[in-house]
Amino acid sequence: MENLTGIMIKLLEKLPPSECPKFLHRVVDGVCGRDPPRLRDYGNAWSLTEWMELLDSLSSFFRIAVGKKYSDDEVEESLADLGSGQRDAILACLKARKEEVRQGLVERTNGVSSAQLQDFDWQIKLALSSDKISSLQMVLLSLSLDVKQDGVLKPVSLELNREELQTLINSLEAANKVVLQLK
Amino acid sequence: MFKKVACTVPGNHRHLPYSAAFPTLRPAVLTENSEQTQERRWTGGGEEVDGGCKEREVAEDVDSVKQFSSELIVEAVVRCLRVIDPPLGNGLSPTLPPGMSARFRLGMSLAQACQDLGYKGEIGYQTFLYSSEPEIRSLLMFLVEKLPRASAEASDQPAGKSALLQKAISAQVRAQLALPWVPPTCRLPLLCRTQSTGMSGIFRSQALSLPYSKGLGKPPVKEVSDYYRDFLLPVTAQPSQYASVPASLLERHALDLSAAQEWENEWNSQGLLTRLSPEGYRSRKRARLQKRIEEQLRAAAQPHPNSPHGPHSGPDLAEMLHSFGGATTGGTVLAKGTRFTHTEKFTFTQEPETSAQQMAAAASVMPSSRQSEEDLLAQQQDELQALQDQLKQLSIRMEEVGGDMKQLSVSIAQVSDELKQRELSNGEKEDSVRVKKQTIDLLPDAENNLAKLQTLVESSAKRVISLASQWEKHRAPLIEECRRLKELCSNRELESSRKLFEIKDLHDKIRQSADEAKKKEGLYKQLITEFENLPKDVSRCAYTQRILEIVGNIRKQKEEITKILSDTKELQKEINSLTGKLDRTFAVTDELVFKDAKKDESVRKSYKYLAALHENCTQLIQTIEDTGTIMREIRDLEEQIETENGKKTVSNLERILEDYKAIRQENSALAAKVREA
Repeated sequence: MENLTGIMIKLLEKLPPSECPKFLHRVVDGVCGRDPPRLRDYGNAWSLTEWMELLDSLSSFFRIAVGKKYSDDEVEESLADLGSGQRDAILACLKARKEEVRQGLVERTNGVSSAQLQDFDWQIKLALSSDKISSLQMVLLSLSLDVKQDGVLKPVSLELNREELQTLINSLEAANKVVLQLK
Repeated sequence: MFKKVACTVPGNHRHLPYSAAFPTLRPAVLTENSEQTQERRWTGGGEEVDGGCKEREVAEDVDSVKQFSSELIVEAVVRCLRVIDPPLGNGLSPTLPPGMSARFRLGMSLAQACQDLGYKGEIGYQTFLYSSEPEIRSLLMFLVEKLPRASAEASDQPAGKSALLQKAISAQVRAQLALPWVPPTCRLPLLCRTQSTGMSGIFRSQALSLPYSKGLGKPPVKEVSDYYRDFLLPVTAQPSQYASVPASLLERHALDLSAAQEWENEWNSQGLLTRLSPEGYRSRKRARLQKRIEEQLRAAAQPHPNSPHGPHSGPDLAEMLHSFGGATTGGTVLAKGTRFTHTEKFTFTQEPETSAQQMAAAASVMPSSRQSEEDLLAQQQDELQALQDQLKQLSIRMEEVGGDMKQLSVSIAQVSDELKQRELSNGEKEDSVRVKKQTIDLLPDAENNLAKLQTLVESSAKRVISLASQWEKHRAPLIEECRRLKELCSNRELESSRKLFEIKDLHDKIRQSADEAKKKEGLYKQLITEFENLPKDVSRCAYTQRILEIVGNIRKQKEEITKILSDTKELQKEINSLTGKLDRTFAVTDELVFKDAKKDESVRKSYKYLAALHENCTQLIQTIEDTGTIMREIRDLEEQIETENGKKTVSNLERILEDYKAIRQENSALAAKVREA
């Protein structure tokens, strides 16, 4: 914590206090799983390494502060060396986004297993005919899954017909039943 | 998560143009203007009964039923029979066999089948082999009337959803095929959508930050409202790519919706029965879940001597369990009680300390990793080794101490048991000693003391009795009260369970009616679309006009007929009056002439002439009448001859004779073969 705030103090003071809140909110966006701020918007203030360090330290500061449920006094104490403008900005940002950061941390904790389904997308295709049959009228589902495995997003694509889809749904329902029994 | 429907034709299936022509079930041959219809297909029967059987096209030059060949007739009849009555029709072959006797048999069985179906007209094997137009026409009309209605009505009734969809798809595909291909640079936006290659983009959702307050009662914190007002981007600007805005929104919506739905389901199915308030139910469920998880973790934390991770993970987990238990009491109540929030609860809120510690450790490792890595690595390895050794030693010692502790605790328990027993026996003994001491004190003045004791006993007995009666007095109303209350309680219980049932019933009913309403709405929409699709230009007016015309024609004809009838009647009347006049005149003349004839000889002669004249005239009239009847008969006969000629009886007879001969020949040949064999 000491180490982090030390870096932060050095770097954050390069930014004028009026721009501070906006920058901090974008950093919190990054923590919550959206886009972090881009260097080219703040290019004059920091070099690349400084930028990385600042982002890292700020993100981990927010995570720790929310994760450990710091009270306002504790946060102020850990930011004691910082200028009052920056300190107030950080405090306000933390108060405003506490719930969102907590949600983001919960998501992270949820994703502890080795592979996790991140997102999925589907398309229905109707095969009207094939090279052998003039009127086929077969419904096909192309299902694409985004699986996060060891931190890497891996796309998985499947094409299923009606029976295969039914099998998939049945097995998923069985899994859901197990989860419901756990409750 | 993100839902969309696309109709595409996958690449590995060859694209075929959609044919708009649907095979008609009813053959057009049999309609009124059959002579003019060009294309006739017997597809209805062929498709439904036997997919493998090749259907037959009526040749181009056949313009009317008159030109139907025997093969065509047989096939038409067999196919119709197969549709009308599959078991009956499947026994018959649609092709005409070469042998005469086989032909005869097929014809006979066809005729029999038609009669079984209720065909009234004259039918035999010759109907099929040597056809006459009116017979075949009436037979085919009869068969087509008999074709099952269901398949015919299918085209009239509102088509199913899938049929509508397929129609729409085919229309779309046809429209797209009709458009020419345009190079990418020249495409208009409309073409871009349908002619671009591949998908327009991958849909990926991102978490969105939305300003809605979870606790409605509380006013939002100032910082939060500041954030919402000043820094929160509009929802469309939040995702990194514009394309993922709808996906993210839909995802968010589906998440909220499913959470609400799941909660509702659970509350209706289980929550209501517990008779708790929603908050109470949630907290009870949370406690149950926590207990379960704790048990699971505890079971998993039992050190396994044969697994390498056991000794390492044991203390960690134990620590976590400890913090888990500590946090149980201080857990905050969350607004939602769904699966998501539950997982969230057990994954994070209940163990914030531990995870926060882990996070802190991870975070502190991160920046230092950028420094001189090799030194650090070596240092860390050494440290790790030392720590592991230390850990091992400590764990061994822990185990030893644990064993000692177990033994000691067992002996402590034993000793405390013994102590309790001793104390008990001690108390008993003290009591007996006191009683004995008192009796010994009373012994010197035994008589007095005995009397005293007896009075004491008596008085105490009396007191007991009075107390008992008093108790009875109090008890009776209390018991009564208790019974009443119990009854009330059970009544209430009954009432409440009845109401619960009612509520459940109501829920079911609500769901059912909602489903029904949805279904009906769908049907209504479908019907509306179909109604809109129906051709509007077919007006009743034309039909009514035609009907009126026909009625007018009929009236005119009727008038003419009545005119002719009245003419005829007038003629008849005239004839009658003339005949009467003639008779009367003749009678008068006859009388006059007869009177004169007695006096004069020449007059007698004239009387004779008169009589002869009358007789001749009567004969003449008779002859004329006879001629008329004969003429009528002749006309009738001519008509009969014509119809008989139409039936081609002579040639048919000749043919039948020939057939007879052919069959006899075949029979004799077969007999010869049999004899040879």
